Amino acid sequence: MPRRVAIVSTGQTKHRAKRLDVNIRELITEAVTRALEDADMSMKDIDAVMIGNMEPFEGFLFPELWAVEGWGGYLKPSVKFNTGGTVGTTTAIAAYYYVASGIYDVVLAIGFEKQSEGHTQTAITTVGDPIWERAIMAGAVGNFAVMASTYIHESGVTEEQAAKVAVKARRNACNNEYAHLQMPDITVEDVLKSRMLAYPVKLLDMCPQSDGACAVIFAEESRAKKLAVHPAWIKAVATAHEQQYMGDSPKRLAVMRSQIAASRRAYAYAGITNPRKELDVAEIYEVASFAELAMYENLGFCERGEGGKLIDAGVTEMTGELPVNPSGGVLSTNPIGATALIRVAEAALQVMGKAGKHQIDGVRTALATGYGGNAWTDVMILSRDL
Amino acid sequence: MEEWVVHQRIKIPFMYTAGRALTRFLDGLARGEIWATRCASCSRIYVPPLSFCGRCWRVIDEWRQLPPMGELMSYTLVRYPLPEHPDRSPLILGLIQLDGADTNLVHFIGDVAPSEVESVTRVRAVWRDERPASIFAISHFAPIT
Amino acid sequence: MTKKDDETQRVQYLLDIEYHYAAGELATRFFTELKEAGRIMGMRCPECQRVYLPPRPVCGICFRELEDWVPVSDEGVIVGCTVVHLPFIDPMTGEQRPVPYGFAIIRLDGASTSIYHFVDETDEKKLRVGQRVKAVFREQRTGSLHHDIKYFRLVGE
Repeated sequence: MPRRVAIVSTGQTKHRAKRLDVNIRELITEAVTRALEDADMSMKDIDAVMIGNMEPFEGFLFPELWAVEGWGGYLKPSVKFNTGGTVGTTTAIAAYYYVASGIYDVVLAIGFEKQSEGHTQTAITTVGDPIWERAIMAGAVGNFAVMASTYIHESGVTEEQAAKVAVKARRNACNNEYAHLQMPDITVEDVLKSRMLAYPVKLLDMCPQSDGACAVIFAEESRAKKLAVHPAWIKAVATAHEQQYMGDSPKRLAVMRSQIAASRRAYAYAGITNPRKELDVAEIYEVASFAELAMYENLGFCERGEGGKLIDAGVTEMTGELPVNPSGGVLSTNPIGATALIRVAEAALQVMGKAGKHQIDGVRTALATGYGGNAWTDVMILSRDL
Repeated sequence: MEEWVVHQRIKIPFMYTAGRALTRFLDGLARGEIWATRCASCSRIYVPPLSFCGRCWRVIDEWRQLPPMGELMSYTLVRYPLPEHPDRSPLILGLIQLDGADTNLVHFIGDVAPSEVESVTRVRAVWRDERPASIFAISHFAPIT
Repeated sequence: MTKKDDETQRVQYLLDIEYHYAAGELATRFFTELKEAGRIMGMRCPECQRVYLPPRPVCGICFRELEDWVPVSDEGVIVGCTVVHLPFIDPMTGEQRPVPYGFAIIRLDGASTSIYHFVDETDEKKLRVGQRVKAVFREQRTGSLHHDIKYFRLVGE
């Protein structure tokens, strides 16, 4: 049996398009210092460090190497992760495994990215296979655009419904002091009229590129109870991979095989049979407005083809039955190596009752997801109850 | 059937942000000065300077100017050219501990024949006339005789 | 470089890596067929009968070794499409990639999986999922998927 594990504290930087005031090392230290202060801990209390980042977005390999004393790695056991968009959740899940297994009692997970240093779409294009995909890939934007067209075809979802997701995210972000894109006055019309990047994805349908870092501390049961008033207990973790090539999955976004597999595995482990009723909040890795609607379907929040109706009915708004991304989500903040870990941190904040102005009342169970690479999915379920 | 090998390249421009402490160091180099920071907890003097001591986990805000000279701790002879390196062959790369510092700087060693470098113990910075805000404000380090 | 008060020095540099990618035995056969005969070949799984394109040694679903090569059609159907307007630096050249271009996920007749390719259409109103397309080959072929097949063109319905 795995040991019981909880998140006891989190820390984030102020995320911005360009953090020109700090270098990579200083950016990471900012998030880690906040996480330690949040639980009144010192670096001496940390047994091991898991660090995640997406090379080569900063243009050189091992950016964490230049920063090692800035993230607490000096003479500590540490592991580096690089799994695309999922890197933050992979890092969190690794931290969970280390504590659950009994190898370490307190583990720090870190994700960071300084997107302003490079060219994100260019770097993402190198993810494409050099002989089968790279010559045509156009970063994440191009991929999400072709996938969105499949999803529109399958579900009948409209550009207006997708725009509502983009509006929800940027308005929610106004209540999150760390969020990058805060747009209190954004309208559906603004999204629809924004510059076309790759049909049907317009500028405001897409996540931004951010500089930022996030740190999350995991502890075993007895430490967790001492370190946090209300620790966020981890009820389930799951990961699933797609096949090798971008064109292998027959319906991509519309039927996300990895997300269906990972979420159903996690729900079963956590004893959840009706996610829409039993989850109180979800922090999902939505990347593009269309993707969030598709993910409602694939995560089982609604029936297939009903994603658009869910946003129309306000179910996923702050005041709805199942709020999705009260933090503003990836559409508001996207330092890629940190992004999925921010989902975990935000889900934990909701469970711990520490989300401040974007807190949802009475959260007991929260979902966090990561999505990246060639359609990989990570899932984590957190609970207020041991 | 001939084996298929695809010849390609990855070419992406980048921009590294130096941060506050390194910026003060680089701006100092442009004026012909070498600045270090000192951790108030462990007393370590860092050059290039750090804004945060990871070993003590505390902010560093004490600055010290160091003399442009120190000890040659180690060196190597680079006998193959790299695009980043100026056209000097063979190239002598030195590990230099400036007087007062606890860390080492890497720089070129010049004004000495490769066959003579083994006897060098003390070196000083040779500044360029036109100094950029970069480590290349120093042309190289030369033996102190 | 000038900087504002709250900004720090920035240093520009270029990541430029040359590499030689060994495509492997299966891709070698695929590209030899493409170059010499203008033929597109897939591989069939003996268990689930899926025809994989690109070819690969193992069916990831059945975990069975693939050995049977089967020709697939140069015609197929669009399963996802877009027109890329976004300007970005192409990592293969270090220069801006010319935009706009039509980009589709295409399932060729006889294949179970799809490939990414260009479509000769940059008006998004004229592109839709379900449309039929046909490969347009170059006369001078070099053994490259995105060169030897210049693009796919829309075919009448």
